[in-house]
Amino acid sequence: MVILHAGLCPGLTAEMIQLLKANGIQTVVDFISSDLEEVAQKCSLSYKALVAVRRVLLAQFSAFPINGADLYEELKSSMAILSTGSKSLDKLLDSGLYTGEVLELMGAPGSGKTQVCLSIAASVSHSLKQNVLFIDSTGGFTASRLLQLVQSRTEEEEEQVEALQRIQVAHVFDIYKMLAALQELRHCMSQQVVCSVGPVKLLVVDSVSAVVCPLLGGRQSEGLALMMQLARELKTLAREFGLATVPTGIQVELDIGGYEALEERPGASGEEL
Amino acid sequence: MSAARAMSEGFGKAESGAQLLARLEGRSSLRNLEPYLFADEGFPMHGDVIEFHGPEGSGKTEMLYHLITRCILPKSGGGLEVEVMFIDTDYHFDVLRLVTILEHRLPQSTEETIKLCLGRLFLVNCNSSTQLLLTLYSLENMFCTRPSLCLLILDSISAFYWIDRSNGGENYNMQELNMKKCVKFLEKLVREHLLAVFATTQTIMQKSSSSAESSFSLKHQCEAEVDYRPYLCKSWQQLVTHRIFFSKKCHSSNSKGFSIVSCHVKRNHVVKCSFSVAECGVQF
Repeated sequence: MVILHAGLCPGLTAEMIQLLKANGIQTVVDFISSDLEEVAQKCSLSYKALVAVRRVLLAQFSAFPINGADLYEELKSSMAILSTGSKSLDKLLDSGLYTGEVLELMGAPGSGKTQVCLSIAASVSHSLKQNVLFIDSTGGFTASRLLQLVQSRTEEEEEQVEALQRIQVAHVFDIYKMLAALQELRHCMSQQVVCSVGPVKLLVVDSVSAVVCPLLGGRQSEGLALMMQLARELKTLAREFGLATVPTGIQVELDIGGYEALEERPGASGEEL
Repeated sequence: MSAARAMSEGFGKAESGAQLLARLEGRSSLRNLEPYLFADEGFPMHGDVIEFHGPEGSGKTEMLYHLITRCILPKSGGGLEVEVMFIDTDYHFDVLRLVTILEHRLPQSTEETIKLCLGRLFLVNCNSSTQLLLTLYSLENMFCTRPSLCLLILDSISAFYWIDRSNGGENYNMQELNMKKCVKFLEKLVREHLLAVFATTQTIMQKSSSSAESSFSLKHQCEAEVDYRPYLCKSWQQLVTHRIFFSKKCHSSNSKGFSIVSCHVKRNHVVKCSFSVAECGVQF
């Protein structure tokens, strides 16, 4: 909910905002959904000016459609396929990890998810020479195991060191820290600042369920909302920056209690929507 | 004063020649879009709002790809040659999959023809229910000026449900506010520009087996057959004209892995059929 303030866009002056506020228009959504003719009359503002402001606000806050042909061109030039290092896994994944997409590894505890993640990280870092961010929320990441995996790929110590240097690890043990780590990654990537290593091509999150499960259950919806937010963040990071994202998790069926179908009730103060 | 108002009225409501023609010509017909899906006439009429409801992995997005290819293929390729607007709320859309399906459907698929078909598809990504609302406002202009843009697809309209509930605090009305506004504006778009809308919703809730549920009078025969719990706002429930329930068959005896139950909301007419998903898309 963006509140109208002076300087939000050219043409939106402080006096205009005062007049609009006096007539109940406080946010961008209020402004855009109101009938501009009525507003022009009630606030005695110029209709032309209001239309111009509306156009700029819409351009600023709404999403732009992209043509299918353009999207296809863009994708052809920017999408890459990262091999996972294992031929059978590559075959299963239709030749590998696609950048811009999210691959979820699901399985019971002890089924090998962390091992697969470590091996993919080692392969991408060593063979493809790409940077990896490994977000560990279970404490299952061990550098010695990673070293073993890298050593099995090459004997030369220099190469091993380089491969290990390309993998950054973040230890997070609750969802807020995880969201913060993703925010930091986003900041790094959008600044195009060489954050000590360079742009990340693979993001591994082991595991998502470790930080999300404690929040679920019971009747509150905040846990579900946070989970949706985390999912969206992983997807948008993958899409916007051309990463391949690999979150892991356990599948759980929850009982979140009963929710009544929301009946429309008239507002307590008589406001009808 | 009246002259000024008349002038400003003229300024606001004047339409270009193209818009006038678009309005008078009407939208292209969606006849033969997909006879298997529609319980009644066999094609969506302009003004219909069709909801695809089902759990994840039940074929809703594949069906949307199928409908999109039917729309954007040229008439020579067996399509309707109309334009489609696709609003993607959870970054789900896979262009490469669409291209694969197009390549299978076109007799001779060259790069040029594929791009020509894709040129009839417009894609928008929305991040929040507020952005969805504002995007609908900004798309109004596109609907005005393009008479061949007659199909609007929303995948999915339930993506912001939990986030909105959490942001709205304790008050149910506040939680549903954005969605209600979206639905209201969607209704205006459908009415004024004679669109057909397809929207997908996820099955977030299941019917509980407690006795409290049985007290809800199930108005429709089709609701009794499927596991359907409505959770989006009432205004959305009222806007929908057809509801199609998707489910995945666990043991497919005849190799058709997915089934749908299609209900016309007002006439309570139910049609069932099944389909499978292959490399070339949906096959009935």
